[in-house]
Amino acid sequence: MGEVIVITSGKGGVGKTTTTANIGAGLALLGKKVVLIDTDIGLRNLDVVMGLENRIVYDIVDVMEGACRLKQALIKDKRYEGLYLLPAAQTRDKNSITPPQMVKLCDELRREFDYILVDCPAGIEQGFKNAIAGADRAFVVTTPEVSAVRDADRIIGLLEANEIRSPKLLINRVRQDMVKRGDMMSIEDIIDILAIDLIGVVPDDENIIISTNRGEPAVTDNKSQAGQAYRNITKRVMGETVPLLDLNGSEGLLSKMKKLFGIKPA
Amino acid sequence: MEEGRGIVFKGNAEGLIIVIPQGYTPEEIMSETEAKVSAASRFFKGAKINVAYRGPKLSDEDEARLKAILDERSGAVIESFSRQEESDLPPKKAAPAAPSAGIRRFFTSDINEDSCKFIRSTVRGGTRVEYDGSIVVIGDVNPGGEIIASGNVIVLGTLRGMVHAGAAGNRDAFIYALSLKPTQIRIAEAIARRPDDSDDHVLTPEIATVKDGLIIVEPV
Repeated sequence: MGEVIVITSGKGGVGKTTTTANIGAGLALLGKKVVLIDTDIGLRNLDVVMGLENRIVYDIVDVMEGACRLKQALIKDKRYEGLYLLPAAQTRDKNSITPPQMVKLCDELRREFDYILVDCPAGIEQGFKNAIAGADRAFVVTTPEVSAVRDADRIIGLLEANEIRSPKLLINRVRQDMVKRGDMMSIEDIIDILAIDLIGVVPDDENIIISTNRGEPAVTDNKSQAGQAYRNITKRVMGETVPLLDLNGSEGLLSKMKKLFGIKPA
Repeated sequence: MEEGRGIVFKGNAEGLIIVIPQGYTPEEIMSETEAKVSAASRFFKGAKINVAYRGPKLSDEDEARLKAILDERSGAVIESFSRQEESDLPPKKAAPAAPSAGIRRFFTSDINEDSCKFIRSTVRGGTRVEYDGSIVVIGDVNPGGEIIASGNVIVLGTLRGMVHAGAAGNRDAFIYALSLKPTQIRIAEAIARRPDDSDDHVLTPEIATVKDGLIIVEPV
């Protein structure tokens, strides 16, 4: 039986969709059968980030309304064996589907897939209620900004109220240089407030913007630090213990080379 | 309305008691109760209370009207409504000459023996806890979380949100936290916010009380 994981945040623009795409692709690379569900009806993005926009024929609302079979709406990502996408509808709204329908959909997908990743829309209204309805686990994405942490706190409260116990925290877009200067909340500060376990920390990386625009998840990019962070998170999703990425590795090429050859930085 | 005359609200462990003086017409009773309840609706909101009234016996019809006013205006759920006979009162110290004089607020006078609610989790943003009595939080209160108590509030963790102690007007109420970093604290009608330049790394427990109408925070 597969596991349904919802990726949520409360605040918009913190990287839910990017996270869904990267963890999904990462799990598929490790040989898992994965389906990504975009529940952001009306503002769909996951298909764009995955580079699958032009292959959409049917969407989640069509499935719910019985206009097509579930299998017909699933888009197979040819680059990754075992990765599928169930896209959101763009011309409808969040009220087009209901939480009980989502539960039924998730249960159906559970039989076929190892992991079902649900990309949740921003906000705490109908879209959020739909997205969390069928979930076994939740990942809460936040950035080291006070407003994002506030919203994450609210979301954790709502998840707990909906009996999704012990959600995991993903801190995105961390800039270690700013943390060092005291201009950005540190990972410790955030965990102190939110009081939940960490699933991973992703550094701020411009490669993410490039890969997102190209529709190629950064998790496959060996040169990208964010890609490495997502590979580690993927392993943690599967239950492995992987130490947190050393975020101090952004000092420049020379020190990276020195580290590579085992020369201690001066 | 001069002191010593007029309708008085009293709170006790059972609920709310409305004391109606002799010689009031039903109309006066209705309008004055309505005004008082409306003014205090923020406190009553969402509460479940038993209501009794003391004083001259009202007709069934007037009783029903009074209950309807409470239901409508207070925002509270009126669980029961009845007349309290003088003989129902616990035998106590001889009633003071003017029992209503001075007691214009709605709180139990002895805050040290209040009823108490325990919360064994973090109070996260968007959560509001209200209680007629004291509240003890075993965990943190995060920004956006609200604790409203008619008695004292104790946070065995970090207080980052908003706490209102003595919300019914009791200035003797206090707020205690292992780490006091609130967005705002209120005791009775006094309001204080954290200074913008306050030190984030104070790790000693602190207590907030009211002195001369101002909230004072001191280490314990």
